[in-house]
Amino acid sequence: MNRRETLKLLGSAALTGVASATSTIAWAATPTMVTVVKIAGIPWFNAVEKGILKGAKDFNIDATMVGPANVDPAQQVKLLEDLIAKKVTVIGLVPLDVKVCEPVLKRAQAAGIKVITHEGPEQDGRDWNVELIDSVRFGEVQMQRIAKDMGEEGDYVVYVGTLTTPLHNKWADAAIAYQKEHYPKMKLVADRFPGADEIDTSYKTTLDVIKAYPNLKGILGFGSNGPIGAGNAVREKRLGKKIAVVGTVLPSQAKDLIADDIIREGFLWNPTDAGYAMVAVARLVLDGKEIKDGVEIPGLGKAAVDVPGKLIKVDKIMRINHETIDGLIAGGL
Amino acid sequence: MTLAADQRSFMPALRRFRRSHEFWLLVVVIVFCLGLGLATDSFLTLQNLFDLLTSNAFVGILAAGLLVVLVAGGIDISFTATASVAQYVALSLALSYGLGWFAIFAIAGAVGVVCGLINAIFITKLRISSIIVSIATLNIFYGLLIFFSGGKYITSLPKYFRDGVWWFEYDDAAGVPYALNLQILVLAIVFLCTWLLLNRTNVGRQIYAMGGNKDAAQRLGFQVFRLNCLVYGYLGLIAGVASLVQAQLAQSVTPTVLVGKELDVLAAVVLGGASLAGGVGTVLGTILGVALLAILQNGLVLVGVSSYWSQLFVGLIILVAVSITAWSERRRRQSKAIN
Repeated sequence: MNRRETLKLLGSAALTGVASATSTIAWAATPTMVTVVKIAGIPWFNAVEKGILKGAKDFNIDATMVGPANVDPAQQVKLLEDLIAKKVTVIGLVPLDVKVCEPVLKRAQAAGIKVITHEGPEQDGRDWNVELIDSVRFGEVQMQRIAKDMGEEGDYVVYVGTLTTPLHNKWADAAIAYQKEHYPKMKLVADRFPGADEIDTSYKTTLDVIKAYPNLKGILGFGSNGPIGAGNAVREKRLGKKIAVVGTVLPSQAKDLIADDIIREGFLWNPTDAGYAMVAVARLVLDGKEIKDGVEIPGLGKAAVDVPGKLIKVDKIMRINHETIDGLIAGGL
Repeated sequence: MTLAADQRSFMPALRRFRRSHEFWLLVVVIVFCLGLGLATDSFLTLQNLFDLLTSNAFVGILAAGLLVVLVAGGIDISFTATASVAQYVALSLALSYGLGWFAIFAIAGAVGVVCGLINAIFITKLRISSIIVSIATLNIFYGLLIFFSGGKYITSLPKYFRDGVWWFEYDDAAGVPYALNLQILVLAIVFLCTWLLLNRTNVGRQIYAMGGNKDAAQRLGFQVFRLNCLVYGYLGLIAGVASLVQAQLAQSVTPTVLVGKELDVLAAVVLGGASLAGGVGTVLGTILGVALLAILQNGLVLVGVSSYWSQLFVGLIILVAVSITAWSERRRRQSKAIN
């Protein structure tokens, strides 16, 4: 063997070695998925995180969750930019403001990152949005509930997290449209109020609303703290018999108000399932599986899929009332 | 300027008050109240006054504490994190050991004072700018809290605490009750204490002097470190007390809800005439600043302004209020120059 041949051999061995090494790395490396949520450290998103971590194990994706310290769309954008720089495989997002997040998501997609959103049916720049509820039906069911308690007539108001929170406003739109169609004697007395993500703000708004609209009979709160703040104010003013409070709440937080019949019924979907579903969908996308109506989401069942609308829905509305609340709290919600 | 104690006769004090920032702010607030009183039936009622005081007590109490720091020539934005920590520690301990009113206020106050002293030590001993120190400590206090609490809410508070204070109940014409509650009580006490501290004590005068000119104050032999410990400790104490007032109102402890409100408080204090450069600011001005912002939000709902417009109006009215006071100030300077 002369020198040239030896070198050639060595070189090709080295090359194939490198090539095989990289291919095994690519094969073995688990895809990374980071989900950006609305705010870190609140019970709701802690429950979402539980689902994400469970999904990570079941679907072999290195999935984690991050979130801004307070409810601020600009901070979400910053977190998303960091993820693009880190070249994650999949970005998950629970958007605060769809318009603010859109450009950065498009950049992520251009960089080859898959984008899975939750609570973002209006979000542009995504591959799929996963919902555990049908947004329109979720709004309508709550309207039906409050209409029943109001005797299908009288004044009511609606609270949302912010005037631009996508889902809250979609539910509100659906609820109000349903009221106009089915309960002509009910009347929305003011434009929807923001602040339903904070107990203090919805308490304050409720005190003002009670005075501004003395005939008020119902408060529909979208945003996990809206019904709590409203309920505290209604209880303090001893108007629990006159004003019905209905809306989205966390069971553990609403326990007393539901026991006292201030919050007549709460509605929710299971946040842990939501986190799990996002990872499950990420796995389907990464495997290149065709996602069409009736597709089986592992662990959650069949989903309704709107392919052009990039929307995957698994119907799982959860009702929180006297009968169900203890079981839900025992389940850690 | 408040009516200074050493003013011999009443008239010059009144004349001086007429030229002050507070006077014009008072005029704006009164004009607003009258306008809202005419526009709605519900604004000028005791019920509404009590509601306003209750729901703005948290911001008001903190504003009193922050005023002292601003007058002393410093700034602190970590007080919302301090409040979150104090609230969480005091009420967790209350639940585990069955503590009463006095104990929880003592614990929350002590936690607040410690956090305030940490700020004071870094600001004075290392001469770091106070805003940088407090941005850092805001994140440290808040980060530690989120780490140790896991962000968990405390939703089942002791019964005596949930019931709070409910004295001298009165029902309005529609039978809706209102009463003197914990929020209003603490708000009044804190403003009184702050007024006494700034206007009726030797230390108060030193705080104004230090805020006006720190170097001169130091040369005069003022103990700058001790004064800083006092003002930042006082804000910490107030933050601890305010945190319990807020928890009682919300009927729960939410570690994430307070941080982010520091700018609301700062806006109220500065609107009330306190200078970010130090040495200037009064309790009356702060009360008016808090009141103006509170009345605005309350009034917009009562009048029925759509929530889509309300932020625009809040911004516009703040701008108008500040312009009026600035314009009167400018006119006064001009007339002085001519004379």
